[in-house]
Amino acid sequence: MTKRIISLVTLVLLCFTFATAYAEHTDDSSYIYDYWGSANQSLNAFELSTVINSDSVEGASIKSVDDVYVHGDRIYIADSLSNAIHVLDLDYNLVTDIKIIRDAEGKIVVDDSNNKQAILNAPEGVFANDRSLYIADTGNNRIFVLDVNAKDEEGNNTYPMTMVINKPENMVGSTEFIPSKIAVDNADRPFVVVKNSTEGIIELNTDGSFSRYFGVNSPKVSLIDFFWKSIASDEQKEKMSKIYAPAFTNVETDSDGFVYAVTTDTASEEMAFRFNAKGSNVLRKFGYSETLGDLPSASSSDESATKSTFVDVAVSDYGVYALLDTSKNRVFLYNFDGNLLTVFGGKGDTKGKFNTPSSICWMGNSLIVGDSKLACAFVFTPTDFGTLVLESEEMYFNGDFDGAAVKNKQIVNMNANYDHAYVSIGKNELMRDNYKAAMDNFRLGNDKTYYSTAFGGYRNLLIQKYFAIFAIVFLAFVVWVLWTEISYNRKQKKLEEL
Amino acid sequence: MMKKLLEDFKYLTYVIFHPFDGFYEVRFRGKGNLALGAIILILYGLLAIIKYQYTGFIMNNNPLFAMNSITTFIFGIFPFLLFCISNWSVTAIFEGSGKFSDIFIVLTYALFPKLVLDAVIVILSNVVTAEEATILTAISAAGSVFFAFLVFAGLCVAHEYTAGTNVAMLVATFVAAIIIIFLAILYITLIQKAVSFGYTFAAEFMKRW
Repeated sequence: MTKRIISLVTLVLLCFTFATAYAEHTDDSSYIYDYWGSANQSLNAFELSTVINSDSVEGASIKSVDDVYVHGDRIYIADSLSNAIHVLDLDYNLVTDIKIIRDAEGKIVVDDSNNKQAILNAPEGVFANDRSLYIADTGNNRIFVLDVNAKDEEGNNTYPMTMVINKPENMVGSTEFIPSKIAVDNADRPFVVVKNSTEGIIELNTDGSFSRYFGVNSPKVSLIDFFWKSIASDEQKEKMSKIYAPAFTNVETDSDGFVYAVTTDTASEEMAFRFNAKGSNVLRKFGYSETLGDLPSASSSDESATKSTFVDVAVSDYGVYALLDTSKNRVFLYNFDGNLLTVFGGKGDTKGKFNTPSSICWMGNSLIVGDSKLACAFVFTPTDFGTLVLESEEMYFNGDFDGAAVKNKQIVNMNANYDHAYVSIGKNELMRDNYKAAMDNFRLGNDKTYYSTAFGGYRNLLIQKYFAIFAIVFLAFVVWVLWTEISYNRKQKKLEEL
Repeated sequence: MMKKLLEDFKYLTYVIFHPFDGFYEVRFRGKGNLALGAIILILYGLLAIIKYQYTGFIMNNNPLFAMNSITTFIFGIFPFLLFCISNWSVTAIFEGSGKFSDIFIVLTYALFPKLVLDAVIVILSNVVTAEEATILTAISAAGSVFFAFLVFAGLCVAHEYTAGTNVAMLVATFVAAIIIIFLAILYITLIQKAVSFGYTFAAEFMKRW
C-alpha cells in the first residue's frame, strides 16, 4: 500500500515538472534539421507580438501589404490596392500616406510626357536608406526617389521628389520595364526586379540610367530533355517549349553591398542568391544541408511540390538572413555560414500564420512579415531563446568569439537539440586549445571537419606527454631489428666456419 | 579437432600468399577446412557490427542511433552466401568441377586478409585525422582487390577453368545473383499476400460466425 501511495505521489509530482520555464513563450512548436536531415523539435525563437493592419493603426487604410521596409525610425508599407506607401513610426502610428508625389515646393509633380499628375498606381516595392526613399510605382512603370530628410516647419516628413526613373533610354534586351521590387546598395545603385524577367535583375546607375542585367539564374535541365533535344531536328526543336532562365522574385542588399535575391520559380536550380559584383552566387552553404528551406521528404516523390520557394529575403547587419517561403508559408532563418537557426510561421488563418506572405524585413532584432491577402503585417519579436541565438550570431559575426560561446552554452542548456550551437562552442574551445572539450562539442554537433582538427591537436598533446614511451618502444624495435640481423650474421659465419 | 583447426589455419596463411598452389592443395589434397571457413565468415559478420559502431568518429558515417546488429550481421555475410549459391548454380551447369563446399572454402579463405585488414582499419580509424583517413581508405581498397584476386585464382583452380572462362562465369554469377534476389522478393511478396489473405479470411469468418 505504501508503495502505491509513493508511486502515486511521484506520478503527481512528475506531472507538475512539465510546467517548465519557457512554456509561456510557446504557442506552437518549432523544429530544426540535424546532421541526419531529420526534423527535431526546437524551441520557438520568435513569437507574434503585434499585428499591423487597418484596425490597429489609426487613420490607415491598409488593403494589401506587398512590401515592408524598415529604415531608421520609419516602417514603410507598399500597398498596391490603395495605391499608397504607408509610413509608420516604430510604435506603429501612422506618420503619413504617400499617394501623390510632390516636389520640394510642395507642388504636385506633373509628368511631362502626358501632363498627368504623379499619382502612385499599384506600388509593389519600397526601399529606404539614409538619404532617399525608393518607390517602385509598378502600375506606371517608373521608380520615384524621394528625400527622406526633408521636413516642414512642424517637423513632419514631407518626402519631396528628387528623381523619377522611367524606362532608361539606353536599356537593352527584351525585358519590359515594370519595376516590382527594388533595393539600393551603399553606392546608391538601384537594383530593380522586373516581373517575369528572364534576363536578370536590372542594375541602374545612380542617375537612373541603365547599367546592366545582373545575376543570371540558371534553369534546371533534366537529362531526358537534354537527350531528346540532342536528337531532335531543328523543326522539332522549334516546337519544343523553350527553357527560360527563372525570374527573380525579390532583391535585397546587405551592409557590405552584396545583393541578395530569391525566386519562387521551382524550375530554378538555386532558390536564394547572394551575388558578388560579378553577378555570381556566393551564398555560403556550410550548414548541415545545402538545401535551403525544408528538406525533401522521403515520402513525397514530387520534388517541386515540397520544394521551398522564397518570395522575400531580409538580411540583418550581422549576416543573419530570413527567407520567406511560399510553399509552406514558413520563415527560415540562416546565419551567414548557412546554418539553419530557426523556423517559424506556417499556413493558416490563426494569428501568426500566413495566407499569402509577400515580404519580410528586419526591425532591430524583430522580423516583420507582410501578408498581401490578409492585408496585414505581423511583427515577430524574439523569445528569450531567439534573443540568445541572435546575440550569439551577432557576437560571432563581429569577432567576439568568447561572448558568443557563453551565449551558445546558455542556448544548449535551453535546447539540447540545437546542434549548431555545439559546433560554435567547439570552435571557441578549439581557439583556446582546449582540444578535449572541442572534440566533445564537435561530436555533439556532428562536425567531422573541425573534429578532425581538434583531434589532431589532442593527439599531438598526447604524443608530447607520453613521448618517452613512444621513443622507448621505437628504440626497442630498432634494437630488436639490429640484434636479429647481427645474430643471424653470426650464425651464418659459424656455419661457414664449420 | 582444435589441433586440426590450428594446422589448417597455418595452411591458410600459406594459401593467401601462394593462391594457385595453395588452392590446388585445398581442392584436391583435402587441406581445406569447412569449419575454418565458417568461422571466418561469422567473424566477418561480427566485424561488420564492430565496424558499424566502433569505426572512429571521423570515418564513421553510420547513424549509430539506428543501429541494428542483427541486420548488420546478416547484411555483412549475405552477399557471400549469395555469391556461393549463384556461382555454384551457374558452374554446375557449365562444367565447373567445384562442389559447393569448394566454392565456400575458396570464398571464405580469400576473405581472411580482408578480415584482418578491416579489423586493423577499425582500430586505426580511431587515431587518425581526416587527412590521414584517405590512407586507411586506400588500405581498405587494397584489401578488397586482394580479396577479388584470391577469389578469382581460387575459383580458377576449384572449377579447373581458364582465366577467360572464369571471367565469363563471374559475369554469369552476377546475373544469376540478381535473378535469385528477384525470385526471392517475388516469393516473399506472394507468401505475404497469401498469408494476409488467409488472415483476413479467417478474421472475416470468425466475425460472421
